Amino acid sequence: MSMKLGGYISVPNPFLFMKTIVVDKLEEAPGIYTYTIKFDGEFKASPGQFNMLYVYGLGEVPISLSNIPLLQGSYTLIEHTIRVVGAVTKAIASRLEIGCFIGIRGPYGNGWPLVEAEGKDVVVIGGGIGVAPLRPIIKYIERFRERFGKINILYGFRSPKDIIYKYEIDRYRAIPSTKMFLSSDTPGEGWMYHIGFVTDLINYIDVDVKNSVVFICGPEVMMRVAVKKLLDKGFRKGDMFLSLERRMRCGVGVCGTCQFGHYFVCRDGPVFRYSDIEDYLWVEGI
Amino acid sequence: MAVDTTSFREVFIGRFDDLKVVFRVLREFFSDTKFYGYKYSNNNVVFDKINIVDEIPFNISDIQRPGFYRVSHGYRFRHSYCSPKDFLLPSEHRLLTVSQSYEFIEDIESIDSSIVFFGIKSCDRKAIDILDHILYGRNPVYTKRRDSVKAIVVEECLEPGETCFCSAVNSGPTISKGFDIAYAKLDQDTILFKYGSLVGEKILRSIGLREADEDIIKIYLGMVEKAVSIMRSRIPDVEDIQKVLVKIVADKDLWDEITSRCVGCGNCNYVCPTCFCTEVVDRVEESFSTRVGVRIGCLTYIYGLVSGGHFRQELYTRYRHFVLHKYLFYLKQVGDIGCVGCGRCITWCPVGIDLRDTLKRLSEVEKR
Repeated sequence: MSMKLGGYISVPNPFLFMKTIVVDKLEEAPGIYTYTIKFDGEFKASPGQFNMLYVYGLGEVPISLSNIPLLQGSYTLIEHTIRVVGAVTKAIASRLEIGCFIGIRGPYGNGWPLVEAEGKDVVVIGGGIGVAPLRPIIKYIERFRERFGKINILYGFRSPKDIIYKYEIDRYRAIPSTKMFLSSDTPGEGWMYHIGFVTDLINYIDVDVKNSVVFICGPEVMMRVAVKKLLDKGFRKGDMFLSLERRMRCGVGVCGTCQFGHYFVCRDGPVFRYSDIEDYLWVEGI
Repeated sequence: MAVDTTSFREVFIGRFDDLKVVFRVLREFFSDTKFYGYKYSNNNVVFDKINIVDEIPFNISDIQRPGFYRVSHGYRFRHSYCSPKDFLLPSEHRLLTVSQSYEFIEDIESIDSSIVFFGIKSCDRKAIDILDHILYGRNPVYTKRRDSVKAIVVEECLEPGETCFCSAVNSGPTISKGFDIAYAKLDQDTILFKYGSLVGEKILRSIGLREADEDIIKIYLGMVEKAVSIMRSRIPDVEDIQKVLVKIVADKDLWDEITSRCVGCGNCNYVCPTCFCTEVVDRVEESFSTRVGVRIGCLTYIYGLVSGGHFRQELYTRYRHFVLHKYLFYLKQVGDIGCVGCGRCITWCPVGIDLRDTLKRLSEVEKR
């Protein structure tokens, strides 16, 4: 198995990041912020890919792009939605205001298979902050509406006040042949949608199950329940895609900390076809 | 083991002093070269820069048992807690240095000279192949250091240590490719030499060694076969192990039982010549921060830990990953298993957990 080495090749240091500037910060929900970052030059990324965001002196976090990068002449606007959970995300939320620097490198990972989805109905299922990496899919479909069949969007949050991108919900509903379903684990004032888990909404799905793709992102427990229910409903194993997260340090498959079975989530994922991971998804801690 | 004797036409025989000559000639051949290998100092064997030939542990041996290591008298040194990984992917390595204003200050460390690995073992050489598949061309630190290695001299161990099982995983004790010169100690003062490259051939020919005759080769092959037969029985058949592993992946009770003595220290990971997992930490000084790659072991609690959760909270899932990764997952990642049978994880386990016992326990499951 000895392999041929390139010899004297220089590998660009993947840990080098680009210095960027925060140009907008929006509080989506308690502890959740959407940052718009200005990147000098062009930055291309596919829906479902992620960047490593670096805060000086603290470290990096892998965060999905929550919108399609927007090229504005000499610079690109990139959006990331961050939930405060650990040291780095806390530092971002508490310290980074408009005009502050942040390091970014990427994009990493494979992204959602949107070309494969063309000509098919699309179901998007998101729970909590898991909605963020799904948002570029909807933006993409909105832009290329004629390439896709029916759209069903299923979003669930812990409580009505935890909804993110709520200012866009009506816009999603207005996309032709699109159904939008919302759920909240707990009731709230004025809440007129489903109370319960987002996976309950799977009962309402109205697409051609044999000609659809399903894109899922949320807590792993939620994704497992979703897969079970979707299989019961007749969706095929190969038509379901899940975006996973793990501890990640490099983004390029060398640090080894994101292993999931034999996969490196950063490089082989983060989006996996269910049929490729069915041996692992049900095994605790693999 | 079938040994192709036709490939032994050009095997040379020499004395112990010829080994020192090889070292000297190599040093002349590769100008401005640093030699790295096992180095004996202060009753400790490290993998480090060799300044003078006498630092090479030619005249010591080691006693290795589960959870036990001693340097002893003799001439059959196998290895220590160190391996070529300590040079290729140091336990701490700078990835970059940045200023407070997010300006890039410094890249990875440069390697200012060529490197020759002298006296690494067959298992070590196989481990480098595995690391190449994962890291070469991707990790800049590893790639730069790997590219600096211009020649490799391998020592074949003809008497395995007590925790060794290289031949059971096809990693030794003999080597057939991926080296320049290989040598084996038939006894303290009889050394067999072979070459694996044109440079190796040139060097061996230049020092006037005589070709080994058939009797010597027979002795050599006899010792190899004995070593192989000792080690082969130390673990069950690898394919059988793999079949069982696939079946019992989710058997929590079994893994809990197997892991019951493990303390989750990660020593097995750090001494393993193929474990490559790294963590990145920021070391902040006055006005700059250095991002440093440091080793992380999958047995340690932080492996799989994320803010707001843990993907491998229970110890059995982390020990299981160690076993599954080496015996199943590497096969899918690099095309070969990731264990080279060096036995370091056994020797350096503070509580003496023996990977071979784990593998045997697993094979008993099959018989159930």
